[in-house]
Amino acid sequence: MRFILRRVLGAIPTLLIIITLSFFMLRAAPGGPFTTQRALPPQVKANLEHMYHLDEPLWEQYGRYLGDIASGDFGPSFVYRGTSVNDLIKQGLPVDATIGGLALLMALLIGVPLGIVAALRQNTAWDYAPMAGAMVGISIPNFVVAPLLILILAVKLHWLPAGGWGDGHPWYLILPVVSLGLPLIAYMARLMRGSMVEVLNSPFIRTARAKGLPERTVIMRHALRPALMPLISFLGPAAVTTLTGSIVIEQIFGLPGIGRFFVNGALNRDYTLVMGVTILYGMLIIAFNLLADVLYGVLDPRVRLS
Amino acid sequence: MRGVARFSVPLLATLVLTACGGGGHDKLASKVHGYNVSDQPAPPAQQIFRRRLAMSPRTIDPTLATGIPAYNVVQDLFEGLVTLGPDGKIRPGVASSWDISADGTTYTFHLRAGARWSNGQPVTAGDFVYAWRREVDPKTGAEYAQSFSPVVNANAIIDGKKPPDTLGVSAIDPHTLKVQLTERTPYFLVMLYNDYCMPLYKPAVQKWGDAWTRPQHMVSNGPFKLTQWVINGHLTLSKNPYYWDASHVRLQREIDYPISERSSALSRYLADDLDFVDEPAFPASDVKWLEKMLGKQVQVSPYYATAFLGMLVHKKPFDSRDLRLALTMVLNRKVLSNQLMGGLSLPAYSLFPPLPGYTQHLPAWAHWSMQKRLATARRLYHQAGYSKAHPLKVELLYMTEGVQTRNYMEAVVTMWNQALGSDITLRNEQWKVMLQDIQYHNADLYWSSWVGDYPAPYTFAQQFVKGFAMNYGSYDKPSYQTAVAAAIAAPDKASRYAAYGRGEDVLNHDVPFIPLYHYKAAELVKPYVAGVQPNVVALHLARYIWIRKHSVQGS
Repeated sequence: MRFILRRVLGAIPTLLIIITLSFFMLRAAPGGPFTTQRALPPQVKANLEHMYHLDEPLWEQYGRYLGDIASGDFGPSFVYRGTSVNDLIKQGLPVDATIGGLALLMALLIGVPLGIVAALRQNTAWDYAPMAGAMVGISIPNFVVAPLLILILAVKLHWLPAGGWGDGHPWYLILPVVSLGLPLIAYMARLMRGSMVEVLNSPFIRTARAKGLPERTVIMRHALRPALMPLISFLGPAAVTTLTGSIVIEQIFGLPGIGRFFVNGALNRDYTLVMGVTILYGMLIIAFNLLADVLYGVLDPRVRLS
Repeated sequence: MRGVARFSVPLLATLVLTACGGGGHDKLASKVHGYNVSDQPAPPAQQIFRRRLAMSPRTIDPTLATGIPAYNVVQDLFEGLVTLGPDGKIRPGVASSWDISADGTTYTFHLRAGARWSNGQPVTAGDFVYAWRREVDPKTGAEYAQSFSPVVNANAIIDGKKPPDTLGVSAIDPHTLKVQLTERTPYFLVMLYNDYCMPLYKPAVQKWGDAWTRPQHMVSNGPFKLTQWVINGHLTLSKNPYYWDASHVRLQREIDYPISERSSALSRYLADDLDFVDEPAFPASDVKWLEKMLGKQVQVSPYYATAFLGMLVHKKPFDSRDLRLALTMVLNRKVLSNQLMGGLSLPAYSLFPPLPGYTQHLPAWAHWSMQKRLATARRLYHQAGYSKAHPLKVELLYMTEGVQTRNYMEAVVTMWNQALGSDITLRNEQWKVMLQDIQYHNADLYWSSWVGDYPAPYTFAQQFVKGFAMNYGSYDKPSYQTAVAAAIAAPDKASRYAAYGRGEDVLNHDVPFIPLYHYKAAELVKPYVAGVQPNVVALHLARYIWIRKHSVQGS
C-alpha cells in the first residue's frame, strides 16, 4: 500500500514536467488556433483571443491552466467550438479503451498459449511455425497490416466493414482489434517462449520432475508463474504501445477515438485539446507501469520483500 | 476556400495495385460494377445516403462554419434566402421572390409563408436579421464577417465602431426582409446561399450558447435536421418534416463520415460502406486505374478553384516584372497537369477558372510554342539581372500536408532551374506555420490555392484588391482596382464580364502571381445514387439526391 502511495505521489512531479513542457512547446509553435487562410479582421481576432484568455501574459495563462486542470477541467476546445475537452475525451476514450483492451486481451489469449506450446515442443514444427509467424508479425507494422486486411476482408470479400465505428457494434471492431493486436500476439508469443524455455531449464523444475510430479503439474504449478514474470513487466509498455498504436489504427479505420483528436488538435493548434490528451496519455502510461509493478509484486514475493 | 490540410497515405492504392496484379483489376471491376439499377426509387426505408467528409467539421454553426466539410453539412441543415439547384445555379430558397431597386442598393426579399423551422415554428425575416447581426458582431468571432461588407455599416460594426443593430438589414414584417447596400454589388444575391447568410433560430442560440449545435438542441430550417453527431465518427441528418418542400425530398437520412485518409475513404467506398465520396476523393495519380475499375462512378468535373504561386511584388527579387514574367512563362503547365495530375486539373494561365458565360482572358504567351516561351523567358531572366554566374536564389514555400503538392512543386522548381539556370529551392512547412509566414510577409514565393465561395468572378478578383485582407502580396495596381470597381458598378452581366476581362488583362501583364492550374473535382458516386449532378461549386444538396432501387449482381 505504501509502495503504491509513494509511486502515485512520485508521479505528480513527472506529470507537472509533462504539462509544463508541452504547454510552452505548444505555444512556441508558429501559428495559432486562429491563424486561418482568410485572415481575421483585427477586432474579431482580438475578441476571440480574449474569449480564450490568449491575450493574457503566458505565465498567467499557465497559472490559470494549472488551476483549471487541478479541478479536473481541461477547458474548452479551441477548434471544436461549443465542445469542452472533457466532453471530447469522454467521447473518445471508450473507443480506444474498447479497441486497445480487446487487442491486449486477444494478444494474451493467443500469444501466451502459443509461446508455451512452442517452448514445450522446442525445435519442432510447433515451435518453428508460430515463431516464424511471430517474427513476421513483429516486423510488419500495423499500418501495412490494416490496409491489407481491409483489402481482403472488406473490399474483396465484403465480409466486414472497411472502417467506421458503427456505435461500437462488434462487427466494426474486428478489423481494428486484429490489426492492433497482431504485433502484440507476436511479441507475447516470443517473450513467453523465451522465458518458459529458461524456466524449464532451471534447477527447481528439475527437482519437481525428479520427485515424480506429472508433467502437467510441473508446468501449471511450478513453471508457469515464474515464466509469466517477463510478460507482466511487458504489459506496461504493451498497453502504451496499444495506446499510441491506436492513433494510426484510428486514422486508417476512421474511428472517433482520442488519437485523432491528438493529431488534428496538434495540426490545428488546439492548445487545450492537445494538452488534455497529452496529460491523459501521461497519466495512463504512469498508471499502466504502476499496475505492472504491482502485479509483479503479487506474483513474485521476492520483489515485495525488497 | 481550401483551409483543409490533407494527408494522403497512398498505401492502400499501392497495395490494391500490387495485390490485384495482372488481370485482377477486371475481376474486382465486375464485382464493384455489378449492380442492377432500376429507374424507380428504392422504398423509404432504403433512402439513406452515406457520404464521406474530408474531415470532421469544427462547428456546424452557420455563422462560424468554415471549410468544405462543414459547408456540406450546413447546406443540408439550413436554407438561405436563395439556394443552389443541382446544377449549381442560384434558385429561390426561403425567399420566394425579391425586388432590387434600380440603383442596385436596396433588396427586398419576400419570404415563403410555408417556411418552417425543424420545431414547426415559422421562419421569419427577424431570424435573418438576428443571424446577420450575429455574423458581423466582432464579439462572435466569425471568420466570414467581412463577407457582409457590402451591407450598410457592416465594416464599422466589424471594427467595433458601431453596434450590430445598425446593420443595414431590417424586417419590414415577418415575411419581408429589406437589405440596404452601400453600393451596387452584383454578386450579393449569389453569395446569399452561403452558410454565413443562413437564418438562425434565436431562442435555441440564446438558450444553449455555443452548445446549440448539439443534436439535442439544434433547430434548423433546411430539408434535414441533425439527429446525431459523434465528433470524428459520424453525423446523422434525418428528413425535416416541416421543411416547406419536404414532399419533394426523398432521402430519409443522410450519414456523413469524416474520413481524412483518402485511401481509407476509397476502401470504404469499395467495400460498399459509402455511397458517395466528395472532392478530393482520391489522389490524381489514382485516376487512371480507378476509371478503369469503376467506370462512370468516377465523376470528374470542373471546379471553381485555382492553384497559384503568390509573391511579394514590392520586395526584391519579385519586384521585377521581367523576372515574374520569365518564371510564369517557362512552366509547361500541360505537362504538369497531364503527367503529374493525371488530367485532374486544367492548366491555368490566368486568374479566373472557366465559368459558363465568361471568356477567359489569357496572356499572349499562352498561345506561343514552348520553344518561343523558353527563349523569351531566358532573355527576360537575363534582363532582370540574373545569369549562370548570378542565379536567382530563392525558396519556394509549400505545405507539408499533401504528397501531390510536393510532387508538383518539385516539378515546378526543376523546370525553372533547368530552363533558366536559377537556384530555386523548396521549403515545406506545416499548414499553420506556412499561413503565418505568408501573413507576416516572411515568404517571398509560396504555394496557394483559392476555392471560390460562390460562382461569380469577384470571389477570385477580390484577392488582388487593395486593402483586401487576403491580398498577402500587397498588389495595388490602380488600373486593376479601376477595372474591378467598374465590374462591380456594371449594370449588366456583359459589361461586368468585360470589366473583369480588363482586370484579368492587367494581371496578365503585371504577373503579381503565377497561375498553375484550375481544379477539377474528383468524386465517386455509386450507380444507384440519383441526383448528383456535376457543378462548379462541387456542392450536391441532399434534397435533390435519392436512392434507386438496386441489387448487387449475382447475390
